[in-house]
Amino acid sequence: MSKISSEDFVKAFQNAQKDMVLDISSSDPKRADLVVKLENVVEVAESLRDNFGFVMPISAGAIDYPEESRIRMIYYLFHPASRFLLTLRVDLPRDNPSMPTLTSVWEAMSFSEREAHDMFGIMFEGHPNLIPILLSPDWKGGHPLLKDFKGEGQQ
Amino acid sequence: MKEPIIEPDVMRISWGPQHPMSGQTRIILDVDGEKVHKIIADLGFTHRGVEKTLEKRTFFGGIIPLDRMAMVDTANMSIGYVTALEKIGGIEVPERAKWIRTLVCEMSRINSHLYAFGLQAESTGYFPAVFLWTTVDREILLDLFEELTGARWSFNLFFPGGVHHDFPDGFKEKILKSVKYLRGRFKDYWDAMVENPLFENRCNGVATLKPSDALRLGATGPVLRGSGIDIDMRREEPYDIYDELDWHVITEDACDVMARTKVRYHEIGQSLNIMEQIALKIPDGPVKGRVNAFMRVPEGEGISRVEAGRGEMGWHIWTNGTSNPYRVKITSPTLRNMYVFERLAELDEILVADIPVVINSIDPWYLDADR
Repeated sequence: MSKISSEDFVKAFQNAQKDMVLDISSSDPKRADLVVKLENVVEVAESLRDNFGFVMPISAGAIDYPEESRIRMIYYLFHPASRFLLTLRVDLPRDNPSMPTLTSVWEAMSFSEREAHDMFGIMFEGHPNLIPILLSPDWKGGHPLLKDFKGEGQQ
Repeated sequence: MKEPIIEPDVMRISWGPQHPMSGQTRIILDVDGEKVHKIIADLGFTHRGVEKTLEKRTFFGGIIPLDRMAMVDTANMSIGYVTALEKIGGIEVPERAKWIRTLVCEMSRINSHLYAFGLQAESTGYFPAVFLWTTVDREILLDLFEELTGARWSFNLFFPGGVHHDFPDGFKEKILKSVKYLRGRFKDYWDAMVENPLFENRCNGVATLKPSDALRLGATGPVLRGSGIDIDMRREEPYDIYDELDWHVITEDACDVMARTKVRYHEIGQSLNIMEQIALKIPDGPVKGRVNAFMRVPEGEGISRVEAGRGEMGWHIWTNGTSNPYRVKITSPTLRNMYVFERLAELDEILVADIPVVINSIDPWYLDADR
């Protein structure tokens, strides 16, 4: 793996994958943010791992925007050679949040995706073991981190 | 939980959820005779909804439950939250407060490593005495915490913009005295435990994790550094005053249980050096500016990454201009390391008798995995 600064990465990635990128920026030398289209997410992830050296997965999480009717899924990736953090962001429709799993690219995203499945109800297609991780298997109270969650048993 | 099909000859053992060595969780082991085929970590027994709780609390009120995510490592649990909020809000921290924060974080790290180190001794089955030693030595740090903050555990010292308490009279001398005493004690640990042939037999070459696997599986903290990779958030993204102090990142190349134990041992030494430097060099000045318990933070988002005792704590906070956060995403070190633990059975041959030793080398704290 070769060294690359976060700014150079932003330029290189923009040139390489122009049509898949919705937004890319680097606010400081330790961070880079990338927003991609849902249909390209697996392709982008593979390219990040194989061509750009993001071999180390950190975690993944989501955030709910009910007014805009979307849930944004965020993957945190570390570049061990150049030591900066990339957030890979993808927007999902709120009424049917579903995306292909990225455990096929970074195996260790498994626990984080299971957590996002618990907390936001996101379906990860192709995940090898999408069972509850933090909530109990018999939980029927909905998805706690959605903004309209009221508490278990409340409508 | 969906139960996969088990081959004949393979027995499934459920270990826990009542306190398997440390904390509440269930570990499912598929064993064939002595050999462990597969490890499944069944987490979530202590899930308390910390991320949801934070959305409902003010920025100040949120710090109180954070301390309870890992009692032995109180300071390192809340420092990341506070740092991220300061980044979003552009809040200035007085210089002396930064020094006090670093001191308390390092004392907390020693506290956490002592516990891990003691349990590692206990788990081999030979050294209950070392666990008692570490527990007694921890008291020295707890007394210092009590004198500084008024509480021995979960002292809720940090807030965005400073720390709540300054040093009491004669505190610097007490730190120096404690550092001197603890240094002497660590020589005993090394002789009694790390270099003891019994301990070496149980730990050398057990559960090896190659550097490439450690990166691929997202290991963190002493588990990652025990595989020879020098990633430490205190150096990668220095917060408070870590970049002004003289210390270095500890790594070990053996990649086994012993390497992880030695990383913790040497990190305690580094932390003691940092404590000493702070006691000698801390500048004078105020420790907090104006305190506003109902502070508002402007709209924005911020990421902070700090090194807790068990590894990297990642914080991603979104604010919307009100007096509580819109969303807080916590990346906990134990959740990452538990995935590594699940995969270890495939990467190296592990025996049932080694499981307590292996899981303590990961140093899990299920409360921060479950949040």
